[in-house]
Amino acid sequence: MRKIWVFIACLLLPAMQAIASEKCRDEIFLRRAYLTVTGALPQAKSCVQFLDSRDPDKREALLDTLLESDLAIKYMQMHWGDILRIKSEFPSNLWPNGVQAYNRWIYEQLLNNVPYNKMVRDLLLSEGSNFRSPAANFYRGFQKRSAKNFYANINLLFLGNRNCTDNGHICFSQIKFKSTKEWKEEIIYLDYHKAAPWEQITLSDGTTFGLSEDSDWREAYVNWLTSPQNRRFAEVMVNRMWYWVFGKGIVNEPDDWREDNLPSDPELLKQLTDYFIDSNYDMRALMKKILLSDKFNSKTAPEGEYEPQRLPAEVIIDAISSSLGSWSTYSSRVPEPFTYYPPATRATHLGDATVSSTELELFGKVSRDVSLESQRNNAITSRQLLYLMNSSELEQRIRKSSFIKWIGENSKGIPHLASTITLRTLSRRATKQEIALYREHMEKNNLSMMELAIDIMWTQLNSNEFLYNH
Amino acid sequence: MRKLYLTLILLLSLSFVANAQRAKSVILVYLDGGPAQTDTFDPKPAAGRNYTGNYKGTVKSNVEGIELGEKMTQLATMADKYTLVRGLTHGSNAHETGHYAMITGDTSGGAVVYPSFGAVISYMKRDTYKGILPCYISVTGANSRFNEGGFLGNEYKSFDTGGRPETKVYEVEGLVNKFISRERMDSRMALLNGFESMPMDKEKIDSLRGVNMEFIWGESRECFNLANEPDSVRQRYGKNRLGQSCLVARKLVEAGVPFINVRTTGWDTHKKHFQKMDAMLPNLDRALSALIADLDARGLLDSTIVLCGGEFGRSPKVLWEAPWNGGRAHFGAAFSYLVAGGGFQGGKVLGKTDKTGEKVIERPVAPCDLIGTVYLLMGIDPYGTLPHVSEGNLPILPSLLNEKKSHGLLYEIIDVKKPDYEK
Repeated sequence: MRKIWVFIACLLLPAMQAIASEKCRDEIFLRRAYLTVTGALPQAKSCVQFLDSRDPDKREALLDTLLESDLAIKYMQMHWGDILRIKSEFPSNLWPNGVQAYNRWIYEQLLNNVPYNKMVRDLLLSEGSNFRSPAANFYRGFQKRSAKNFYANINLLFLGNRNCTDNGHICFSQIKFKSTKEWKEEIIYLDYHKAAPWEQITLSDGTTFGLSEDSDWREAYVNWLTSPQNRRFAEVMVNRMWYWVFGKGIVNEPDDWREDNLPSDPELLKQLTDYFIDSNYDMRALMKKILLSDKFNSKTAPEGEYEPQRLPAEVIIDAISSSLGSWSTYSSRVPEPFTYYPPATRATHLGDATVSSTELELFGKVSRDVSLESQRNNAITSRQLLYLMNSSELEQRIRKSSFIKWIGENSKGIPHLASTITLRTLSRRATKQEIALYREHMEKNNLSMMELAIDIMWTQLNSNEFLYNH
Repeated sequence: MRKLYLTLILLLSLSFVANAQRAKSVILVYLDGGPAQTDTFDPKPAAGRNYTGNYKGTVKSNVEGIELGEKMTQLATMADKYTLVRGLTHGSNAHETGHYAMITGDTSGGAVVYPSFGAVISYMKRDTYKGILPCYISVTGANSRFNEGGFLGNEYKSFDTGGRPETKVYEVEGLVNKFISRERMDSRMALLNGFESMPMDKEKIDSLRGVNMEFIWGESRECFNLANEPDSVRQRYGKNRLGQSCLVARKLVEAGVPFINVRTTGWDTHKKHFQKMDAMLPNLDRALSALIADLDARGLLDSTIVLCGGEFGRSPKVLWEAPWNGGRAHFGAAFSYLVAGGGFQGGKVLGKTDKTGEKVIERPVAPCDLIGTVYLLMGIDPYGTLPHVSEGNLPILPSLLNEKKSHGLLYEIIDVKKPDYEK
């Protein structure tokens, strides 16, 4: 009896796979690509352009445009800011000036698509004033300034190792800090007079080397870390990028590599790692490779392989703002004098975890106290839904939205009204059923066109279709 | 042998803490900016005009030997209900660090950010508190100078009500929205249910929305509804932000909320100090006395801790010179808190400052001593631990374990005897 089932399953499997691997619709791909690469919703006119285009290669063309856009670079900068713990106060104490310099440095690395191994090398071998050599903020930002703590974090960030037991930390024991007369500026320098250790450095894979005086000991370690022979270094970045795209790593948690925490798909990890090393650690190419994968182009689960993810806090808040056409204002309250951000700054571009708002925290903006990816909590909670359902703040913003006022006064009937709003919020046109639903709602409750526009906006901002990347 | 002894101590302390619980709720009336202790809870009439400024007089209270600043007339009639802690000290004169000290009991500059004591209580009561309202509520908003969820995370931060309780409609963020009637909300929910077709977390979201609808339209709405309070009661608290916020706090205590932060701003009076105090002190006096008396009359004072103070005090010496022209500066070396209820005794003064009020000369109290005592009275072990995501279990109040930073829990003024093993 069991054999028959196996036989039937074998017959059905290819057919089922064919269905499963079928690509998602254009409107789904468009929204998914924008939110994943830029953390922003597409503008209505970009939606129309893409949806109406007949170019067979339009998906790849879209990815090329997106990956080089300023929005994409700044969104990637947010991911890096999270794990490098960029914030002006507690516990990093970089202060707004240091944060600004550090963020600018990261932005330039990403803008110029500096190879990953070079970027890490420059970060780890940094020295000088944290204002003038911004990469030195890597060391400046640690509250606990010990070689062991630097080394534990380097292991966590670049090798996914939460528990290092080797003596590589000695390579970071020459690092010293000197304050200047400039407020909050510090010089990171190396103490070349420190006596070289008698013991050999023995790293996790058995590599050994000795250290000599009058040299930067970090260099020997960084040469080992970033060399193509050290596959783990490349694997961790490949896996992290996969995690940034899908919300779940091939090795998961992405920063917890252990012998008993194996990759779910070793072949996939190997292929991507080979590709990454062969491309000379090209992060943008790696991202594109992942975005062109079947998984990213698949239908949403349970029909397909793409697992929906609740949007990160900053992305939700920005999506609400761009849908309404009204933006929040941000300022840094620590330390005095306060720092004010220009109007219409996106939450994804704030660059400083100290700068926040009640709404951002409600949806789980990270405080950047630790370098773990798991610090970001994207679970949906009742308080988040309460904010969307019944907050006077959001209600006022919908009512005062210049877009809602405009469409409420100028719409050419319900289908036009519905599609105009839906393109802004959900990056698609309204369906016939939805239009019928809106018409019924309007008639039953005796609403004006303006009040209908407000209720449609409210409904869409509350929908899981809006809150999730799917 | 040592292990056995430690286990024994642990067991003793567990039962001691469980038995020490007196309070179910805490109300923190937080005077943000730093109130002047010498004009309120620790007057120094003999120090001369350079110290007393315009307030030369004091007012005798109903307890022999306790005097308050001349504007504290209502509070003076009920000194048997509270204790004045006059020896508070942390030495910090900056808002950020002073606030951090008074709200977390930790000293700043360490490698981790501690959560506020409201967040800690919220975390500790997460399994036992079953109310529909959040465990920790700020009327109308918390201080935002640091992330007060600390390493516990944002989940345990306060729910900020927003809105203005002194106006006709007190709009509570997410709960009372003056634009939306029950009818409109129901019709919107029907539209949303018809609209939503995607499967993501659908069941969970539907169920959470149901909980929210109950929250919005159920009993919790009444907890914030001041319109149903008799006008005489509203008058008694004072029809201003602070007064009506204190009235909201009493209603939240009745609803069983474990931690309520009433935050009032404007106490950072570097300039025109006395003109501002002329307006602000009577409101404080009225609100705080009404709150304590009202809790007492309802039989709630025994189970409710009331604390009143700021991130530090103000300089006892008046800055008459330009540009201050009669102001008081930040002062963290010596300042006062009023404590009442929930196991705190009344009619006492703890600690003493010198004749100008610039130095603590008897029974200094560190922030961790006050907060640790509040923990104890709430049934939380002040020597217990909190989980940190990467550092493991950390002491709930690290300063309490450090003899240089702590002067001991306030056993002198609570209804709990110091356990033998601690002596």
